[in-house]
Amino acid sequence: MPSDPTDLIHRAQQGDRTAFEALYRAHAGRVYALCLRLTADRALAEERTQDAFVRAWERLGSFRGESAFSSWLYRLTVNEVLLARRAERRREQRVVTSGDPAALERPRGADTPSGSALDLERAVAALPAGAREVFVLHDVEGYRHEEIAELTDIAVGTSKAQLFRARRLLREALNR
Amino acid sequence: MTGPHMEAKLNEYVDGTLAAPDRPSVEAHLAECAACRDAVAELRRLVAEARGLPPSIEPSRDLWAAIETRIAQRATRNVQRLWWRGTLAAAAVLVIVLGLYRLLPSSTTLYRPGQGWAAVQADFDRTTSDLGLIVAAERERLRPETIALLERNLAIIDTAIAESRAALARDPASVELRGLFAAAARQKVELLRWAARLAAS
Repeated sequence: MPSDPTDLIHRAQQGDRTAFEALYRAHAGRVYALCLRLTADRALAEERTQDAFVRAWERLGSFRGESAFSSWLYRLTVNEVLLARRAERRREQRVVTSGDPAALERPRGADTPSGSALDLERAVAALPAGAREVFVLHDVEGYRHEEIAELTDIAVGTSKAQLFRARRLLREALNR
Repeated sequence: MTGPHMEAKLNEYVDGTLAAPDRPSVEAHLAECAACRDAVAELRRLVAEARGLPPSIEPSRDLWAAIETRIAQRATRNVQRLWWRGTLAAAAVLVIVLGLYRLLPSSTTLYRPGQGWAAVQADFDRTTSDLGLIVAAERERLRPETIALLERNLAIIDTAIAESRAALARDPASVELRGLFAAAARQKVELLRWAARLAAS
């Protein structure tokens, strides 16, 4: 019988790593999907997934249950990915390219996308980073422009412009 | 679609965020423009597909072992940090005790005017700097009202220290002034130690 999520969270907050592992097992696929779509790079997505769970472990004490644990975790994940990208840009150690569309060649798991979904995944992965992030956060994850602006440190108008650009590029890529 | 202005309007129309006064003109345009009607249909299809993407993708390898290792390493570092914090706090007490000893009246054979006062100041500055660094590093663990209280009290103590230092500069041999400085210095170290302990709890 699966454990009660509230009990798992409470035990993990007390330092129980087995409980935290159960939380990882329950959310790893969702967190990894988010990281993969935001970075369009399989290796980076794995790194960011690890970063997100390590950060979640450190911050578990601040989780008060005011929102769902999943919402708290996914928002923390988005923050980790965006903070890391900003740090990379500042260090100029990594050239941010249009990503690695092959990263989404064969997504595993129960939710294997259909043909058109796979086309869309590939097209999203090939978007410029700024447009991709806004598209993923708005159209896939359902964040509002105001939230995206706060998370990505851009103006609301810029968030909208990036979204419209992303949609235009995707329609062109998908020959629509 | 014609131009970025219309592109933005059609996107906002699809998202349901188009300002109410703009809706009639956009709807009138759509009634006449087949290209824009197609664009709206494509945008709607794209948004629906994006919402329908699988929420979960399993990583190609199990990441738990790496995560657990990093968590364990951080736990070790935290223990080391607590050890250092305890050691520094203990060192701070020792420094203050030694400082007070040096501030004994000038009849004490160990006291050397000028040199003793400079050494006391240096010890105090180093200790408060070390403790200040710890508190600054752990600042985010403290509640905002605690930080405000801490800063208010530190400001009061710093004023007392600055005043006793200025008075001692004018009258270096005054036992009373050395006592005043020592009391204020002890209060500052105690306050910083309290903040460091609170942040660690």
